[in-house]
Amino acid sequence: MKTLITLAALTATAVAAGLVTVYAGLYDISATDQHLAPTYWILDMGMRKSVKRRAAGITVPPLRDAQVASRGEAHFREHCVQCHGAPGVSPAPFALGMTPVPANLAYTAREWKPAELFWVIKYGIKMTGMPAWEFRLADDEIWAIAAFLEELPRIPPRRYLAMTAPEHRPEGPVPDQTPPDAERGRTAIGQYACATCHRIPGIVGPNAEVGPPLEGIAGRSMLAGVLPNSPRNMARWIREPQTVNPGNGMPDLGVTERDARDIAAYLATLK
Amino acid sequence: MTRFLVLSCLALGACGPEPPLREGDAERGRLLLRQYGCVSCHRIHGVAGKPGDVGPPLDGIARRVYLAGVLPNTPENMARWIRNPQEYEPRTVMPDMQVGEDQARDMVAYLYTLK
Repeated sequence: MKTLITLAALTATAVAAGLVTVYAGLYDISATDQHLAPTYWILDMGMRKSVKRRAAGITVPPLRDAQVASRGEAHFREHCVQCHGAPGVSPAPFALGMTPVPANLAYTAREWKPAELFWVIKYGIKMTGMPAWEFRLADDEIWAIAAFLEELPRIPPRRYLAMTAPEHRPEGPVPDQTPPDAERGRTAIGQYACATCHRIPGIVGPNAEVGPPLEGIAGRSMLAGVLPNSPRNMARWIREPQTVNPGNGMPDLGVTERDARDIAAYLATLK
Repeated sequence: MTRFLVLSCLALGACGPEPPLREGDAERGRLLLRQYGCVSCHRIHGVAGKPGDVGPPLDGIARRVYLAGVLPNTPENMARWIRNPQEYEPRTVMPDMQVGEDQARDMVAYLYTLK
């Protein structure tokens, strides 16, 4: 009996604490404040399990047809690249400010089954910014996108870029002399979607493996195998990877000079 | 000309059906990764040696989408990259270590166990 009363009291306290947090506005809803790792884990896991369950009964039509994939590519360029980017192509500026940041689809395609891709494109995902395309695209068009996504990880970035017009690169603000700020750099990493491709300690995200993980990057000698690692070169690489090493998978993201220096300062703490 | 075509085919990564590779021997690959000094530049889980940090660590390499940012990661491409990195990225510091085809295959078999 005593245990029951204690249990009820604890539950009531937890609910009250939850209500106070919500009503007092204590929860930070800003998109610059990253999720706590447990929050991210539970949301991400819940999303994956939900998609898996709902996609289980879907029959996959034949997808290994170059024509189907090429139709999918047209839709991909028109509807997906703005938020998700593409090999060597940055997402649009607005997408970089989203939380959760839209996934890198070359990685998604390796991790998810075609039926799951179809389901996500068709029905969307609540509270993530992923829209449902059910009322915009026919099923065979959605399958064509899934077919192209299956191809995506096998397309060399150089080839994808060759099929794309050169990117418009926004000019950053006037260079300033603010000293590098590692903590600001950490926030900036979230705002430039770095974690959609790299595992980065201190950044909660999908732990994607599109590019190399950045643990210990401070101690690494070379960047991208071509540039000696120094704070200056790191900032340069972050700002203009397509100039330093044209045709590689890392896109020019329009990172400003100050943001690049701050990001480099944060990365320099990862020993 | 045929040689040029073959090379440009390789450079593009995927180019029609290829003869399937002989299954590599992962255990032998693990030994070779040490014998060819790979660990002096890369941290490789399960391969003893003074870990180097010149190139990226290779844990999770099986799940990575691109090799050196330029090649789609498939077993075939990884073997090509190990054997002749300069062909795909002329400026890379990764040296051509004169790895044989069978040896590259064994290395790839081991590296693909690193998920």
